[in-house]
Amino acid sequence: MSESLADGVGVARAGHFETVAQQRAAATLGIWAWLITELLLFSALFLVALITRIQHPEATVAAARHLKFWIGATNTVVLICSSLTMSMAIEFSRMGWQRAMVRAMLATAALGGLFLVLKGYEYYADWAEHMMPFLSQRPFALAETPAARLFVNLYYVATLLHALHLFTGIGLLLGMTWMAAKAGFLSRHQNWIEVYGLYWHFIDLVWILAFPILYVVNR
Amino acid sequence: MRSPLAALSADDRALLRKRLRTPVLTFLALLALLAVNVTLGATLPFAEVWIVELLVVAVMVMLILLVSMEVIHEPPLIRLFSGLGFFWVAIMVGMTLTDYLAR
Repeated sequence: MSESLADGVGVARAGHFETVAQQRAAATLGIWAWLITELLLFSALFLVALITRIQHPEATVAAARHLKFWIGATNTVVLICSSLTMSMAIEFSRMGWQRAMVRAMLATAALGGLFLVLKGYEYYADWAEHMMPFLSQRPFALAETPAARLFVNLYYVATLLHALHLFTGIGLLLGMTWMAAKAGFLSRHQNWIEVYGLYWHFIDLVWILAFPILYVVNR
Repeated sequence: MRSPLAALSADDRALLRKRLRTPVLTFLALLALLAVNVTLGATLPFAEVWIVELLVVAVMVMLILLVSMEVIHEPPLIRLFSGLGFFWVAIMVGMTLTDYLAR
């Protein structure tokens, strides 16, 4: 909202707002209210991971050694790249460059998809290593250290919840891309791109926290 | 294949450079900070390395929050709102870890 908008780019004022500026601020405040609840949810999970590390250091380190550090690092790079493409989409929307904006949004969705593919491979590797303690038919590799079960279960809850947010985000992004490709979108709904961008950056921010707390500090 | 940039006028290219400068610099800074954390995590140079790793993460979070999410340019009410969220998290994490680390 900080940058000036090109001619013909803007927001159609809804009747219950006095000004377009008020409408834009309300939309941004609304998404932030939701993002804060999400932040509290993920923060609690990460805090429990840190407590598990403090209370059961040997078991947590043993479990974390099975995590795929380099896949996690690669996925962090992928999400940082997707944040760049999302920021580009926002800038293109402000400039009124609709085609470039649509391409940047598709690139963002593709990078999100790549993240999920890599995450899926990581889960498959975990399954092959018997690192899924919640599967009753498959013995857990670290069964002799019960506290490791705590950390691994927490890892799955946190990363699956993040993956669910990302999957939902990709769906919403593709839907919005379909709408944003239509003529006249940028003259009526430009701030939708900015509001959605906040959500995407937040998903990135959560993973920026998850990677070090789950993968790095426990090595 | 002809680059799409070649079709842009000099003014458009200047505008593009101006508008994308901040996102690209943020992207490069985040990659550099991630490289620091990955190197520290892979080599574990000293016992208290986790303190440095968490400080690097804090800088990355601030970069995303202030620059990518543009909180720094938002009106005061939105800045207050986003700041309060992280403030509550700081209270929760700070008080809980103080308890566990002081036992």
